[in-house]
Amino acid sequence: MGKSLPVFKPLPPADVRRIDQASRQILKRIGIRIKDDAILDKLKKAGAKVDYHNQRVRFEEEWLDELLSRAPSKFTLYSRDEKHNLPLGEGEVHFANGGRVFRIINIADGDYRLTMLKDIAHTATLVDRLEHIRFYVIACQAHDVEPQYYHLNDFCNAFNNTNKHVMGGCDNVEGVRQVWKLASLIAGGEDRLRKKPFFSVITNPISPLTIGPNAAKILSFCAIHGIPVTCASAPIAGATSPVTLAGTLAQMHAEVLAGISITQIFFPGAKVLYGAVPTTMDLRNMEFSMGSSEMGMMSAAAVQLSKLYHLPIRASAGVTESKRPDIQSGVEKSFSNLMVAMAGADCVLLAAGMLDSGNSVSYEQYAIDNEIIGMVYRVLSGIRVNKETLSLDVIEQVGPGGNYIMEEHTVDCMREEFFYPGLSIRYNFDIWEERGHPDMLSRANDMVHNILTEHAEGKDGLLGTDMLREIRKTFPEIKNI
Amino acid sequence: MNDFKALSEAVNKGDNKTALVEVQKSLDAGSSAEEILNKGLITAMNEVGDKFSKGLIFVPQMLRSAKTMQECTNLLQPFFQEGDITSKGKVLIGTVKGDLHDIGKNLVSMMLEGAGFTITDLGVDIPPEKFVEKTKEVKPDIIGLSALLSTTMPAMAQTIEALQKAGLRDQVKIIIGGAPVTEKYAQQINADSYAPDAGSAVNKAKALLGIS
Repeated sequence: MGKSLPVFKPLPPADVRRIDQASRQILKRIGIRIKDDAILDKLKKAGAKVDYHNQRVRFEEEWLDELLSRAPSKFTLYSRDEKHNLPLGEGEVHFANGGRVFRIINIADGDYRLTMLKDIAHTATLVDRLEHIRFYVIACQAHDVEPQYYHLNDFCNAFNNTNKHVMGGCDNVEGVRQVWKLASLIAGGEDRLRKKPFFSVITNPISPLTIGPNAAKILSFCAIHGIPVTCASAPIAGATSPVTLAGTLAQMHAEVLAGISITQIFFPGAKVLYGAVPTTMDLRNMEFSMGSSEMGMMSAAAVQLSKLYHLPIRASAGVTESKRPDIQSGVEKSFSNLMVAMAGADCVLLAAGMLDSGNSVSYEQYAIDNEIIGMVYRVLSGIRVNKETLSLDVIEQVGPGGNYIMEEHTVDCMREEFFYPGLSIRYNFDIWEERGHPDMLSRANDMVHNILTEHAEGKDGLLGTDMLREIRKTFPEIKNI
Repeated sequence: MNDFKALSEAVNKGDNKTALVEVQKSLDAGSSAEEILNKGLITAMNEVGDKFSKGLIFVPQMLRSAKTMQECTNLLQPFFQEGDITSKGKVLIGTVKGDLHDIGKNLVSMMLEGAGFTITDLGVDIPPEKFVEKTKEVKPDIIGLSALLSTTMPAMAQTIEALQKAGLRDQVKIIIGGAPVTEKYAQQINADSYAPDAGSAVNKAKALLGIS
């Protein structure tokens, strides 16, 4: 399931190379600003051309290629139970939710509020139970936790509520260090964590062409400690990158290659993902537009650019400006999810739970997006053509005028051939009326309620009583555990 | 003694051949037809129904089990004693005049058959006179009328009228179904019941005859 074909290539091969050439020109002539002198020293020692006055690093092509060749083309994002390991660079597409929002929308009463630590526990529980969302990204800001400990609290609550791989955006290296210590304790030692890292970190360059001191330090820490990391470029076409899609792609590609090559200086062979979050600005009124068609097109093109260097990519899709699960969110999410998956992205982030330009989540949206992603996976698995599926025997057996409902062939093949949605309404009109006019949203609401109620009736959490006792002793800063 | 485990498994799987062999074995071992029916077949079908209502199996699987059950019951037929109750009731079913659709009607037939009803299926495009003639012959407890098209729905009303004129209306219960058919329409044309899908057809039929 989920093997990409890949069939959607928005750029012809010659244009992929032209964009890549433009990016290499950017890195060579203009360079990247890195706002940290200690890091600049390190890069200079490794052979970079450094302009200290402007804090600028320029990349000669040969040097760039040497560094990029060190980056692994395949590695695995592990899950704690190893049942949900995510092999990267193998042609599989793995969808995940989106992270770091600040608002949650309660669909039942239309109310909204700031997100809290419990929302991380709940969204992690939802992702744990929703089969098509293959790993969890720290979903939101815990506004009830002191800033110096929120990464630690976020990840601990995530680990306690899902066994799937946990990825999270981090603001500072101190937060990453805390999470690494916690994960080492859970793994049973730093070495075991390094061997099978079950969490990973996202940081971002600042478009255009800047890597801040925090991002640089996080890249360094993760590279050295064997934590998979993404330096995800997130240009907004028309605002923080050129208004043209090609220009935005060239700048984004340059920023990503810079991040990856720096990581390879810190630790050759460090596990790093190509990270792409290209979006657009609606210039009529300066409204940020994540759910634009161009977002999906550029994200699919980013997959082509990453594969030029055989780098696993964490792309983005499934985002919307809509404030509710509605027609707009359904259209925008489906569009980009399908485009990016069909382009063959290794990871597709932001694809579940998000609304409101990545500022809000709703629990119901996780369930709805799980279903959209399930449909996408069905498309990816294609049309099976073999002796059994061609069905000649059964066609002969049934003959003209019969039907196939009770044939053994039907029973043998029916589960694999179709995707069976859990939320879409397929009742006939009368049954639909009898059941009180349900729709996808009302059914998502029921599903969320069932998952969270069942969860509340459960025990301590997935980490287990002994480990939780150990964690409380070692990390008194962790709440709610 | 026989625990009917292999028979039950075969019915659950919809494995006709094995089920028939198992029924024969049980008969040879001295089990009564009624015992095989009640402890073997009906118990197994209850399991199947349970799995279906939990969404663990799909309609084709349930129908295959129902068909297996039906064939086993046919094999047992000569061995039933007088007084054994072997049928829930007789159902005469058909798609009404002008309408050639039969999938829905066939599904309903199979589901009813699996639930223990005896079915006489007249086929498609059946004129009112034919329903009247067959009702006299078969003496069904229930008549099932099917129509997929809104344009052929009036033929349902004509069929019921024809039964009325022939003086047969009071002797049978009439249940109707099909995509455009509604509860309200059933009341309008003096049908006794309406089922929106094959699964509820079984429940409606049982309710009409006051059985469970």
